[in-house]
Amino acid sequence: MSMAEALQPDEFAATAARAVTACAGLDIREQAQNLAGDGLLGVIADEGVGGLALPLGFAVPVIAAAHSGLLAFPLLETVLVGRLLQSSLTRLAAAIVSGETLATIAWQGEVLAEREGGQLLLSGSLGRAPCAGQVDHILARTNDGAAVLIPANAGGVVVEEAAGLDLTVPEHVVRLEKVELPVGSILPAGTWDLLNSDANVLRAAAILGSAEACLSLAQEHASTRRQFGHALSYNQAIRHALARQKLGLESIRHAITRSLSKDGGPVQRDAAFLAAATYGSSIGEGALQIHGGMGFTWDVPVHRHLRRIRTLQAQGDASGLINSFGHRYVSEVAPFAEAGA
Amino acid sequence: MSALEAVSTHPEARENLTGEAYRDVMYRWLRANLPASFRSDSVAFAPPTLAQSVAWEAAMYRAGLTGITWPQVYGGHGRSLREHLIANQEIGRLAMPESVNSIGKELAGPIILAVGTEEQKRRFLPAILEMRNIWCQGFSEPEAGSDLAGLRTRATRNGDGWRINGQKIWTSGAYRAQRCLVLARTGPLEDRHRGLAMFAVPLDAKGVRVRTIKSIDGRESFCEVFFDEVEVAQADAIGAPDEGWAAAIRVLEIERATNRMYRAWRFENELRHLISACKADAVLSAMVADRHYAVRLGEVAVEIEVLKAHVETAVEALASGDKIGARGSLAKLYWSESHQRFAALALELLSQASLPQNPAIKVARQRFEAIYLQARAETIYAGTTEIQLGIIADRILQLSRGK
Repeated sequence: MSMAEALQPDEFAATAARAVTACAGLDIREQAQNLAGDGLLGVIADEGVGGLALPLGFAVPVIAAAHSGLLAFPLLETVLVGRLLQSSLTRLAAAIVSGETLATIAWQGEVLAEREGGQLLLSGSLGRAPCAGQVDHILARTNDGAAVLIPANAGGVVVEEAAGLDLTVPEHVVRLEKVELPVGSILPAGTWDLLNSDANVLRAAAILGSAEACLSLAQEHASTRRQFGHALSYNQAIRHALARQKLGLESIRHAITRSLSKDGGPVQRDAAFLAAATYGSSIGEGALQIHGGMGFTWDVPVHRHLRRIRTLQAQGDASGLINSFGHRYVSEVAPFAEAGA
Repeated sequence: MSALEAVSTHPEARENLTGEAYRDVMYRWLRANLPASFRSDSVAFAPPTLAQSVAWEAAMYRAGLTGITWPQVYGGHGRSLREHLIANQEIGRLAMPESVNSIGKELAGPIILAVGTEEQKRRFLPAILEMRNIWCQGFSEPEAGSDLAGLRTRATRNGDGWRINGQKIWTSGAYRAQRCLVLARTGPLEDRHRGLAMFAVPLDAKGVRVRTIKSIDGRESFCEVFFDEVEVAQADAIGAPDEGWAAAIRVLEIERATNRMYRAWRFENELRHLISACKADAVLSAMVADRHYAVRLGEVAVEIEVLKAHVETAVEALASGDKIGARGSLAKLYWSESHQRFAALALELLSQASLPQNPAIKVARQRFEAIYLQARAETIYAGTTEIQLGIIADRILQLSRGK
């Protein structure tokens, strides 16, 4: 029996939750070592690079637990980059899976890559790169749909803090000013789309984790906070609001499950992320509202989750994706002709 | 040999089919046999008469498309819930009329299977599937809509049998039904949910009177049913007086999650029909290519995917032996509100079609205007939205009502 057959994805949730708790207060490199020690950085990477070689579904509870626990580490990006590089840059992939080397992904912007002799000359502006100021490598999309891996310390790479909502895994912008790299730094055409399709599932999982934490906080507050002689949850308006949040949460969970089933393809993966983006924001904002004035305070962590959800929504370009999703759907339907639909 | 012959004349052959082979047979049978006039996405559409619907549903049963999970000894096909899902996906993909006996197949039948006597199972279940008996549901009353614990229709002992007095309302299809599954009180009103019993009341019994109520879509489908000293045999009492309701609730929880399992695939059929009609119109074809409507149609498509996920998750949970419990309320709430939003969007789009109206738009308007109106009932029947939210709050979230 293979490891994938012997294990269940949910078994990873408890391990991940413990690992996230153990990471509290550590710097990013210490966190990497801890997470690698629990096998979480290589959960979907090949065994040849030190990974567990499990299907993507096993990363779902790991990412959800990381976000539920407000892990201050670019785990989603690390998990994806480690697997992406396992065939072409094996040693680097192994270093990422072992936590020795840190990597992230710039989700926004494109790199213009020009060949100059045996070298590549990179230029461009990138954004939405979580923790880019603290990592060793940044993966980015090229203007022809491939991907390129850029050492953060290469000449011409300028990383700056970006304005952004996320406090836990802050985003950076990256400027590339005639960065010279070996041609081998370019990964094959089509790499980005495949990476992004997997990322959509994991973003949905991340939002699920944060939304679950928000609902749990709201539920606890509604059950313990008393107003007008009753717990808040005595009021139908509060009960129904929480019930709607639960519906949204289960909708995200089921959409992720479906996207990973035998019938799951790009449509189901996009749908999982889009559903998560819609319901996740609504759950976060709703949880904040149920906390009343408390929800607007810095100390109540609902805003930290809401910030992450909104950031993930933007990293996955939810508004652009729903547009292309709709256009694709419309374009696939033929004009009405008798003989029925 | 046609697909119909291949399926209907050799039932033993299809018993061995599973998975995609089973799907393929269902797919081919439906396409070979569903009359164009039954398809609300066809210019030939003409709503079927009751007799046509009865004949069609009886043919569907013989082809293996209804009674899928019921035991073979009671006329069912003895298949799994996963195969029920497969068949329903294929049913949903076609714009066919709703069943005129869904209460029999999806409410009365499962309740009888759960709590009925062996004699009742043999008497009632094959008749439901063969469409010899159409059923209606006598639960709601003028003073007890969502709160069935307040119902007042009374069943009193009458020798070996029972005597029923009272009134039911919102009883869909009572005018065409032969049997009504009546919920009646055997104890005092103060007993609330205790002392509620169920009866299979023949609607041709002396003292039963049915009056239709015209609904917002102009149809006269739902009814008031009056019971005046109606004598019912003990053989028609379903379950024990104090046990019937609890068992029915357990069945209803499953039914809420699994009934009309084809919905998500039917909504997809509707969405594709809407887009195809729009693309046949000069104005609307430009509109659906525009970002505004592409995004809104995309949102509908995402909701359909999520609804499929709710259904498939429920089926997998049940097939794995899990209890569905109150989780059926999540799917019910989701599909009913989602369908209303979709129907409103369809109406908004189609109302902007160019003139003169082409046949495609005419067909689509006829279909979606009916869907829009009927969808207003979807957040009311089978437990209103507010009831579903209450169930989720009480039983899934288990929110405190603490003083």
